[in-house]
Amino acid sequence: MLEIKNLHASVESKEILKGIDLTIGAGEVHVVMGPNGAGKSTLGHVLVGNPRFEVTEGAITFKGKDLLALAPEDRSHEGIFLSFQAPIEIPGVSMTNFMRAAVNAKRAYFGQDPMSASDFLKLLREKRKIVGLDAHFMSRGVNEGFSGGERKRNEIFQMAVLEPSLSILDETDSGLDVDALRIVADGFNSLRTPETSALVITHYQRMLDYLKPDFVHVLMNGRIVKSGTLDLGYEIEERGFDWIKEEIGA
Amino acid sequence: MSSIDQYLALYREHSALLEAHSHPVLNAHRAQALAQLEAMGLPSSRAERYRYCNVEGDLAPDFGLNLRRSLPVGDPYKGYRCGVPEMKTALFYVVNDVVCSADGKAVLPEGVHVLPLCEAATRFPEVVQRHYNTAATRKADALSALNTLLVQDGLFVYVERGVTIEQTLQIVYVSAAAADMMSNRRVLVVVEEEATANLLMCDHSMDATHQYLSTQVVEAFVGERAQLHIYTMEETQEANARYANLYVEQQAQSQTSLCELTLHNGHTRNQTEVRLLGEGADVALNGAYIAAKEETLSSDIVVEHAVPNCHSSMLHKYVVGDKGVSAFAGRVVVAEGAQQTLAEQTNANLLASPTARAFSQPMLEIYADDVKCNHGSTIGKLDETALFYMRQRGVPEAEARLLLQHAFVNEVVETVHIAPLRQRVSALVEARFRGRDAGCQEGCTTCGGHCI
Repeated sequence: MLEIKNLHASVESKEILKGIDLTIGAGEVHVVMGPNGAGKSTLGHVLVGNPRFEVTEGAITFKGKDLLALAPEDRSHEGIFLSFQAPIEIPGVSMTNFMRAAVNAKRAYFGQDPMSASDFLKLLREKRKIVGLDAHFMSRGVNEGFSGGERKRNEIFQMAVLEPSLSILDETDSGLDVDALRIVADGFNSLRTPETSALVITHYQRMLDYLKPDFVHVLMNGRIVKSGTLDLGYEIEERGFDWIKEEIGA
Repeated sequence: MSSIDQYLALYREHSALLEAHSHPVLNAHRAQALAQLEAMGLPSSRAERYRYCNVEGDLAPDFGLNLRRSLPVGDPYKGYRCGVPEMKTALFYVVNDVVCSADGKAVLPEGVHVLPLCEAATRFPEVVQRHYNTAATRKADALSALNTLLVQDGLFVYVERGVTIEQTLQIVYVSAAAADMMSNRRVLVVVEEEATANLLMCDHSMDATHQYLSTQVVEAFVGERAQLHIYTMEETQEANARYANLYVEQQAQSQTSLCELTLHNGHTRNQTEVRLLGEGADVALNGAYIAAKEETLSSDIVVEHAVPNCHSSMLHKYVVGDKGVSAFAGRVVVAEGAQQTLAEQTNANLLASPTARAFSQPMLEIYADDVKCNHGSTIGKLDETALFYMRQRGVPEAEARLLLQHAFVNEVVETVHIAPLRQRVSALVEARFRGRDAGCQEGCTTCGGHCI
């Protein structure tokens, strides 16, 4: 589904990603762990085309398409979704209008007519249930007055509405209490299908417990330095990153 | 040689004709206006309050004036079918500066009178004389003086003591002529004690082929515990120049809100002066402006807290694109002894293009020591983070910009407390951002696509 080859990316001329190679197949869940500043979030943002980051080398293909040639909105239509680490507030743009614009833009991209008002409201109602987001959130501005936990639930809600084939969760678990984490993780799991993949950036074992990823990668200093299975994740949780640093001689 | 000379010459030459088609109450004020204009001339861009206007330039063309008060061709009430859906207003048309007869078209409740000013000067001589040109002359202003010199008729809106009119009174100004035309518009509003009224004033121009210049003076007197809500909506054209002065005097416990929306224009200067003269008076001054092309808006607002315990708020938000210019000057003056004054003032500007310009001057002038006044002003561009967040969800960049700009201005639209009008204005704002003329409804063919 996703193939990243020798990806280099910079922000304000500072190189953050220094040659990432990663392949994610359909239905797979990959977790990326790594110390702060390793480039995990940058990887997520580069995949969705954040203009703050400049790709200086390498290639990304997504479902056979050259991802780097696509505008952020088109990457979204093609099925890539990023759950932001710190979802921002957009006062005055209601959740309903925001989601309607997103849903209908995707439909237009695939040559479909806009969704009828009643179908759209039904869709929102269904998807809200997945993460237990009350109806009144829909008339509020995007994330306006939402608590930290509500913002993360809102990210998963939007994911549910847009039904991406590749979801990138950037520390969606951070700042959540146990109950909120369970809601978010259960919501995410309920959306998984044999065709949907995920790239999950996390620091915590709890997330590993919930998501049961197929692969775990360690990102350090802009490169993936070690890959393994769930066991690697637990080992990092227990022993930290220093032993890996020693192992690779960094 | 100043542009004012042609107007003074015109007046001197045709004063007999002009006055014959007006009323003695209005005529009585012309000599003073003439003397004032002769003495002060037109404000130059060096005059602080006219800094971002080109008065000389706007007044330079050889405009025609309808001194003989020729009536417009056709019945505007039949021709212009535009209105606000779900809102039946009591509608009054003014074509250029000629008030079109509304006989039998608007049925007003007892105690509510809307009629041509000249007629009112005969029917209600005492009320008209007591108020006409009093607020407008407290401080000399060249544009008000020019209006007073040349105005021949206007509208009188009179709501008697204790009367509430639920229906919104709507005045639609239409500039339409076969040549470049100057209109001098005048409205006198008297809302007596415990009376309530909503007034919507729309300003349209029919075509882009002629230049239209309007001077407008609105004087509003709001009695004790009375309420007056004034909405002004400008949808004119690039070749249009508008100089609109609004004067409001409020008595104790009165409530006023003034909402100015400028969606399409050429050169506009809106000057608003509010005097809070009785304790407990409250005024909200809101405004939204969307500029494109080379449109300019200069908004000059003064609120005078003359007595203690009054409240004023100001919220003006402008989105300026292309080579547009917005200039906001808001001044709150708290007189000596006006303790417990509460005043808020906000002006926020969004620059949507690198060539757009915004000027913002929030000012406080406080002569009392127990007051709470704050002011804030921002000039910035769209939040790139928000823009990217929306694009990540699939919202195309242009649409995301539009939603963000609409949201920015919508804070002002939300203050419109008549629900159907609020929805209509919101739709017009959206249409404006989508680059369409803020169009009217189907079936309207005569307004040049610029009606509310």
